[in-house]
Amino acid sequence: MEIQLNAIKKAYGERLVLDIDHYGIEKGQIMGIVGPNGAGKTTLLRILAGLDHDYEGHVTYDGQELNRAIQKKMTLVFQKPYLFHRSVYENIAYPLKIRKTPKEKIKVKVEEILNNLEITSLKQQNARSLSGGESQKVSLARALVFEPRLLLLDEPTSNIDPLSLEILEREIIRYNRKSCASVIIVTHSMEQAERLCDKIIYMNNGKVIK
Amino acid sequence: MDYIIDGFFKAIQLLTSFDQEVYGIIILSLLVSSTATLISSTFSIPLGIYLGAKEFKGKRIFSRLLFTSMSVPSVIVGLVVAILLARRGPFGSLQLLFTPQAMIIAQTLLVIPLCLGLTFNLSRTRGKEIKEMGITMGGSKINTLFLMIRELKMDILINIVTTFSRAISEVGAVMIVGGNIKNDTRVITTSIAMFNSMGDYPTAIALGLVLLLLSFIVNSLIYNYNQGG
Amino acid sequence: MRKILSILLILALVFSFALVGCSNDTDQQPDPQAEERDIILATTTSTRDSGLLDYLLPIFKEESNINVKVVAVGTGQALQMGRDGEADILLVHAKATEEIFMQEGHGVVRHDVMYNDFVVVGPEDDPAKLKEKAPQDIIAGFKLIAENEAPFVSRGDESGTHIMEKNLWAEAEIEPEGEWYISAGKGMADVLKMADEKLGYTLTDRATYLNLMDVVELDILLEKDEKLFNQYGIIPVNPEKNENIKAEDAIIFMEWMLSDETQSLIGEFGVDKFGMPLFTPNAN
Repeated sequence: MEIQLNAIKKAYGERLVLDIDHYGIEKGQIMGIVGPNGAGKTTLLRILAGLDHDYEGHVTYDGQELNRAIQKKMTLVFQKPYLFHRSVYENIAYPLKIRKTPKEKIKVKVEEILNNLEITSLKQQNARSLSGGESQKVSLARALVFEPRLLLLDEPTSNIDPLSLEILEREIIRYNRKSCASVIIVTHSMEQAERLCDKIIYMNNGKVIK
Repeated sequence: MDYIIDGFFKAIQLLTSFDQEVYGIIILSLLVSSTATLISSTFSIPLGIYLGAKEFKGKRIFSRLLFTSMSVPSVIVGLVVAILLARRGPFGSLQLLFTPQAMIIAQTLLVIPLCLGLTFNLSRTRGKEIKEMGITMGGSKINTLFLMIRELKMDILINIVTTFSRAISEVGAVMIVGGNIKNDTRVITTSIAMFNSMGDYPTAIALGLVLLLLSFIVNSLIYNYNQGG
Repeated sequence: MRKILSILLILALVFSFALVGCSNDTDQQPDPQAEERDIILATTTSTRDSGLLDYLLPIFKEESNINVKVVAVGTGQALQMGRDGEADILLVHAKATEEIFMQEGHGVVRHDVMYNDFVVVGPEDDPAKLKEKAPQDIIAGFKLIAENEAPFVSRGDESGTHIMEKNLWAEAEIEPEGEWYISAGKGMADVLKMADEKLGYTLTDRATYLNLMDVVELDILLEKDEKLFNQYGIIPVNPEKNENIKAEDAIIFMEWMLSDETQSLIGEFGVDKFGMPLFTPNAN
């Protein structure tokens, strides 16, 4: 999915939190956004995800404004994952269920991604009882299982153990290569950005600085 | 002092002898209050969840009004409903005054603000996270609503129990619109008031114990369900 | 657990439909052939408390298939329900007020049905010495109570009983006021209990007193003065008030109450339990 940002402005009272003249994000890339706290990275991501409509300017996805069809083809992985009060399997199956995927197909896809993220053993466990790293993996699994065309990630690997981090990063890259979906990842870690991203942009004070 | 003890004994005796009048009163109370709870929950829960998580103009004023109406005195609701249902009132031709149906209507109107207010507040404080999750999952508005209800299920159940408790323990509304008619519109609370004023303490105490027991059972069921889930 | 709750929920739904469907027939099996008719009888709390209607109405229902719904309120409210057309028939005991009610055109007709009597009850030791000095003279009795400033509890609620009490004070030329005179604003049974607590006197109908005899420690200290007879009247409400008044059935009930058979039933009520009837039938 290709994204165009036009004259995006958002203010909280006096303070301008986003001020982007024009920016285009090519399809199929993994793009990283880095910058200090308060730079507007998360705000931008939320606008892209369709969670925030309080701004000026236009965002287009493959030339279109945000609509239900587009919303269904993208997702945002939050920094702090919200997992449903159900089993890991049911959490991951959820987006497929609401897309009316047949049961057998759901089983195949969920088990595949459980396997990729090495959390098959957690399948029946209550998702709320997982550790930080396990939660993040389930959160990512849930986001990838329905094969979105646009994957937004807000610091998906802060505060997790190195092994989980490795598995998560590997999966993100693998997904991008396999599906050519666009990926935008906000991260604090310059190293992570360099490991994962085809392109990196810097933000500060709401502006994109090359 | 003796009469209080006598009351307890009479209470046990009445309950175990399956006295028809007493059991009729108990069953009617349960029917009226659970129907009122059912109707008001069905209306209030989806609406409360939806409004609580939504940004809209005047939300603050709406909250104030809603929370105030949660504690409207039951006699006032009873009075208003009685005026509407009276023969010379706008709905007089329906002949609903002094019937169980009128009692259900009055109790439903009484507890709707309570159920709506509690659910609204629940959604307002905890709903945003779930709602955003629902949006990022690509679900429709209905999908997201059901997701929120499911995720907040425990607290919603507690709200329903609170609503039921309010309904079954009120006396003002059912007394005015029901008339406390024997074998017809007599419920636990109106009976307690009546038996007390007649000096029949044993029966009044028996019914009081039943009301407490009912509350305890309902609360226990929900507590167990919550623990298990 | 979830299953149990779902079952309970379904039961509640089923019951609520049953409730709505079966309307007012909560007693016995519904008779599918005959249509059930209801009338609303407004009467006083003391009439309800006497138990007379619990005794008579099932018999009436058998014979006529009319369900009499008894709404028991104060005399004032009962008459107001009559004026407003919210009740179909009234059974009250405030003859003077009833006659004004009739003059104002609110009722179809008024008949005497029965009477009971009032008594003055008080503490066993009888500080005002009613039993000694005025066992059958209510005016003298009231004067004794006022002179001694013995505690006296009044209904204070514009009920038939209260109106009778006020008239008696007026006749005794006494304005009852002061700490000894307690205006309760409650029903007869509550007032008796209050008098019991305060070791005071009160004017009560015999029936309520007999029903509460086990619960209060008051004795009858003054009775059988003609002035203490309490006449009950039955009044079907004027159907011109609104279309929902069941005038025909109300009149059927009234005629039944005035019939010889019912009158003798009334005369027997209370004999088993108290050894004396609570009411004296006097329809003519």
